[in-house]
Amino acid sequence: MKYLFLAGSSLLAITAQMIVGTHFFLFNFVDLSLILITYWAFYRSRTQALFVGSLTGILQDAVLGWPLGYNGFGKTLAAFVIAEASRRFDVEGGWVRFVLMAASSCLSSLSMFALFLLLQRSSSSIFLGASLLQALITAGVGVLLFAALDTYNRVHTKRVG
Amino acid sequence: MSIELASKGEGRILYLVIALLLLHLTLISIQVEDPSGTLLFKKCVLLAASPMLNGASNAARAFSHFWTGYLWLHGARAENARLKEDVRQLVLLNSSLAQAEEENSRLQRLLAFGVSFPYQTLGARVIGRTPNFLSSTLYLDRGSLDGVRADQPVVSDAGVVGRTVLVTSNNCQVQLITNADASVGVMVERTRVPGVVRGTENLLLDLNYIGNTEEVNVGDALVTSGLDGIFPKGLPVGKVVDSQKGKTGFRTIRVEPSADIIRIEEVLVLLGPPKPVTDPLTPGAVK
Repeated sequence: MKYLFLAGSSLLAITAQMIVGTHFFLFNFVDLSLILITYWAFYRSRTQALFVGSLTGILQDAVLGWPLGYNGFGKTLAAFVIAEASRRFDVEGGWVRFVLMAASSCLSSLSMFALFLLLQRSSSSIFLGASLLQALITAGVGVLLFAALDTYNRVHTKRVG
Repeated sequence: MSIELASKGEGRILYLVIALLLLHLTLISIQVEDPSGTLLFKKCVLLAASPMLNGASNAARAFSHFWTGYLWLHGARAENARLKEDVRQLVLLNSSLAQAEEENSRLQRLLAFGVSFPYQTLGARVIGRTPNFLSSTLYLDRGSLDGVRADQPVVSDAGVVGRTVLVTSNNCQVQLITNADASVGVMVERTRVPGVVRGTENLLLDLNYIGNTEEVNVGDALVTSGLDGIFPKGLPVGKVVDSQKGKTGFRTIRVEPSADIIRIEEVLVLLGPPKPVTDPLTPGAVK
């Protein structure tokens, strides 16, 4: 059931990205899958975060029409970095989260770019620029979302208490 | 305890990451082709499998080599010995055949000589000689039972060899012309000057009783003169290799025998007077 929820959330993130991105161009610069991975790493299980990273990556590749594995590789790597960072450091602060998410997003994009180069797949420097922009926007959106979630959790906890 | 669990969990995550990354790389390689159109997955599999394939191939080769080189050859020593024996026998056979062919050739020449010569001849094989490099005595496989008598000429296809001196029932002894006691009446074929050839226990003979005034040159052939009562006239004896005027009124002449005295193996013994020749015009008549 847990993994079904995991898969469902991954699918939902990608579908939402597709639908919303079609109508709002700027939404394409928000990497919902990375936010989902971060959520899983921060609030749930680090192991499951890895699965979420892999699954969302594969789904993203499928949606983009790329050979399966490029995004999966990058997202898994990002998930690992976020999970490890959340274990070793205090990631409660907003700036820390921002930096961590931006860095993970960049790492994911760089790893894909490296795979492109290794496998002689055509790529351009625009990809890197767009990836950097996407990392910043995603990190910003992610920090806001997690802040809202934290606030919600605090309120909810108080009510329960 | 908690540290141990944490470390276990950390190790598990690391393995999981590695496994997931490998999964993605595998996924990519299954779909992406290299510039030559080969799937990367196939290439990777081949790349990963090649050390194993090479190892297996080397192992198989080593085993095969061991099998064929050692186990399979357990009977090789016996076979080798047998083959060596076969080779030795074949070499002997080959040598024997070569000798037989050579002997056949020599006998054919001797036979032709005997046929062309108007004497009753008897072919004989040399069965022994005195143990001396410059052998001056031979033993033949023919004796009195074959009609051989003492003082009969012995010749080869090249010329005079010697004469029989001692005859038993099955063998005879031949005194070669190189023997110091041997002498043959000869004449210079070109000038018909008579003389006597004597053995010197050397490979060369001396030609005696040729006056200084006679012309005898190096290369002149000598034939039997028929005056010694043993050798019929006209048999080749040798060639002059040295001819000089002597102080005693006679020339000093050295002669090389026509017959190969050292290597001779078959000879003809001239048994008797000339064969009766039938006149083809008058059948039954003897010339």
